[in-house]
Amino acid sequence: MSKYLKINNLSYAYPDGHKALKGIDFSINKGESIAILGPNGAGKTTLILHLNGILGELKGEIEVDGLEYSSENIGKIRKTVGVVFQDPDDQLFMPTVIEDVMFGPKNFGYANEESETNAVEALKMVGMENFQDRAPHHLSFGQKRKVAIATVLASKPKLLVLDEPASNLDPASRRDLIDILIKLDISIILVTHDLPMALEICERSLVLNEGVIKEDSLTKDILQNSQLMKENRLELPYGFALHHLGEE
Amino acid sequence: MYSTTHSHHLSLHKESVLKNIKPEHKILSTFLIVISIAFSDVENLFQILSHSLIVFLILFISKIPLKIYLKRLTIDIPFIIFALFLPFLSSENNDIVYTLFGIDIYQTGLEDMFGILFKATLGVTMGIILTAVTTTIELIYGLQKLKLPQIIIAIMSFAIRYIDVFIDEFKRVRISMRSRGYQEKGIKGLIPIAYASGAMLIRGYERGERVYLSMISRGFNGSIELKKRDYDNSVLLIFLTLISIIVLIVDKYL
Repeated sequence: MSKYLKINNLSYAYPDGHKALKGIDFSINKGESIAILGPNGAGKTTLILHLNGILGELKGEIEVDGLEYSSENIGKIRKTVGVVFQDPDDQLFMPTVIEDVMFGPKNFGYANEESETNAVEALKMVGMENFQDRAPHHLSFGQKRKVAIATVLASKPKLLVLDEPASNLDPASRRDLIDILIKLDISIILVTHDLPMALEICERSLVLNEGVIKEDSLTKDILQNSQLMKENRLELPYGFALHHLGEE
Repeated sequence: MYSTTHSHHLSLHKESVLKNIKPEHKILSTFLIVISIAFSDVENLFQILSHSLIVFLILFISKIPLKIYLKRLTIDIPFIIFALFLPFLSSENNDIVYTLFGIDIYQTGLEDMFGILFKATLGVTMGIILTAVTTTIELIYGLQKLKLPQIIIAIMSFAIRYIDVFIDEFKRVRISMRSRGYQEKGIKGLIPIAYASGAMLIRGYERGERVYLSMISRGFNGSIELKKRDYDNSVLLIFLTLISIIVLIVDKYL
């Protein structure tokens, strides 16, 4: 099977010497979705910034869709990998929603009209098509998050990377978000502390802790391994039962 | 839930003919009319009258309520106060017009005063009209159409976008300070505010970095382009602008 993303022995140290990633190895197939689980400060955000080639210098190899990480390929890689950041206020900076959603496609060389078609389509996917001319800063947090996802979908990426998409959302907005993500027909890398969400969207998960991948297996197996969960500061929500998973 | 600041908009919601005119035309007209007022001759009654007529005609068609206009005109007060001191000073020939309680009032100073009152008031009026019938986004769009450098357009649109985020953040910081018993009293009360401002500055800087990362991950390559918008042309506005310039030139050189 063709590997969509291959990461080989990836290490990264921040300028202050802190080693955030130490020899990361994993790959995902086309259309496959994985969750990255792990405690605060495990290196999750650093890892996803690398998927887009944002942090620059890296040790190790990253190959996306057959493209090796290099300064010539970086534009193509950024087009095919869309990253949704933690704080939607960081991602929405244009005067109106539609302009924000058109920002990516325009940069990636889509013509004006095509960018707008893409943008409207992306807004429809997240159910925000009626908010086109609104100012992003007047939206609610949940709406901002949806628009932030649309800004990335508008460039038609093949891999969607989400950093803590469920944080600060009310239960209904979280449900909307999960439904939107399940419907999408692209690969997803989901970085989250919301284990039930990971279970619902991604069959497979990685556990990242202290810059090392501690486990790479089925999500339901990880969640049932109480020893592994405890070692990596993971915990299921109180009252959450997993006994039905084995029977499926 | 904290209330979100809805930035205080200068533009009025009331429908006005000037509202749908191309913002670049409005900006350019305002600029040219203000320039021709600035260069006009205050001793010349014809110029004063014709420029006043043009400005107040535009004010009339802009349909700005008088109350709002007068309220916004208060921005003119510092100029007026400054101008009121001028008659006591002389710039050239020391002709004394009148002596008030032993203080001389000079003719040149009096003329300067009228000049400033006339020019500042009309100039400010044009500014009030422009901001009342044009939203901030339209102003940026218009400036982009007038080929202002991309970097300035980007800085301006970021300022508009993030000022609310920043104010909200500062409000939250203050609420959390007050909920821990902080009282804004006296000079000492300013110390925590200074610390909070420092923390806000660092946060703002970090946010700037994060925004930039999110921009390059969407392929940012140096230009921010606003969506095309449709506006009308205004023959009247162009006509009035031309008249204003012609009045200046005709009277100065013919």
